Amino acid sequence: MTDGDFLAGPDSGPRPRAGAARLDDLLPAVARGDDRAYEALYDLASGWVLGVARKVLRDPAQAEEVMQEVLLEIWRTASRFDPALGSGTSWVMTLAHRRAVDRVRSERSHVTRELRSAVAVIDYDEVAEAVEASLDRERVQRCLTSLTELQQECVRLAYYGGYTYREVAELLGVPAGTVKTRMRDGLIRLRDCLGVQ
Amino acid sequence: MTSSDPDLHTLAGAYVLDAVGPDERARFAAHLADCAECRQDVRELREAASRLGTAAALRPRPDLRDQTIQAASRISQVGPVLQNGANGKSDGRRAVHIRSWLTFPRLALAAALVAIAGAVGVVLVGRGSPAPQQGHMITSVLKASDAVMLTAKISSGGMATVVISHHEHMGVFMAHDLPALPAAERYELWLMGPRGDRPAGMLRTRRGMAGPALLVQVTRGDKIGLTIEPASGSPRPTSAMLVLIGPNSRP
Repeated sequence: MTDGDFLAGPDSGPRPRAGAARLDDLLPAVARGDDRAYEALYDLASGWVLGVARKVLRDPAQAEEVMQEVLLEIWRTASRFDPALGSGTSWVMTLAHRRAVDRVRSERSHVTRELRSAVAVIDYDEVAEAVEASLDRERVQRCLTSLTELQQECVRLAYYGGYTYREVAELLGVPAGTVKTRMRDGLIRLRDCLGVQ
Repeated sequence: MTSSDPDLHTLAGAYVLDAVGPDERARFAAHLADCAECRQDVRELREAASRLGTAAALRPRPDLRDQTIQAASRISQVGPVLQNGANGKSDGRRAVHIRSWLTFPRLALAAALVAIAGAVGVVLVGRGSPAPQQGHMITSVLKASDAVMLTAKISSGGMATVVISHHEHMGVFMAHDLPALPAAERYELWLMGPRGDRPAGMLRTRRGMAGPALLVQVTRGDKIGLTIEPASGSPRPTSAMLVLIGPNSRP
């Protein structure tokens, strides 16, 4: 007995692979002001947005704020999503990551940056409050470990730490050009491992 | 071939990870317009990077849901315009030659609208169709009591048809027999008028057919223009207007 709302699987934590196609369909509906579609989009994507905001900002209250800002930005600008340029998931996550990174950069002082750099590398696998370990999550973790150590550090410090490649170079004591290249190589390897197109 | 430094090309990874400063971000974004390979790179790497984010998902506090959804209901949405061109302005009006135009008599208009509505129906049904989200707004333009239809020849080939409703502040653009473009280029629509010249979206074409494409925030006095631009779009026209149609273009 369901209310016929097959969009929301009862057991579903966010599952990007299953959710991705759905997000591509939801965004156009949201663009024309469909409330139900927006609710479904919230249920699907708010956890992803909160997760990435929390990784980058580390502060739960600020992460919640960014999550809400991003969700409102999605509502406001959904018409700008163009499926020809990438998936709905990547559109949403780009908004979310950029917003979180811009915020952390405008706020953190040199001192807190130093402190954060110390923890950024080690606590990526925190599990508190995490949604049920999904296959996707395990797969991403496994794929990350297929990167070289330097590639991993470069990708993690940039994506989860919010550092620029120049800052990463400084933190790791490696030339900036090398960091740039490792970020690209690392993502290519990640892409191939995940089998995304 | 381009003068852009080769260094820029390797920046795709850092760009996708948002690991660049504001200046480099802007420079690389501009570079993307000229580099189809980089665009493809960015698209693919972005899919991979976004999985780093989704894998970190957390469950939000339940009370945030209603709060956010209610806040959204108080915020108005923007129309489908190009983000980088939202404030594109130009005061110099281009002298563009309109090859031909005609307004349809009422009966012909009605018949044509039915035909267009049929096309919309097809668009809505077909998968991967051009912007299905716009279907319902397109229908409201076509049904508007003040809808006016104008047709003009496109100087590079093909015919363009525009239906405008000032009541709805929207228009619909369609074209047929458009010449195919190289992969790095696309047709871009423009609204040109008293409020300045603004990008009105990239036109998708298939076998020379384009549209129906929705034009939003159409103001009285606006004409609809078409140019060929780099595939990522331009904030303002960078090539000659191929057609310029509008209700005020009566000779």
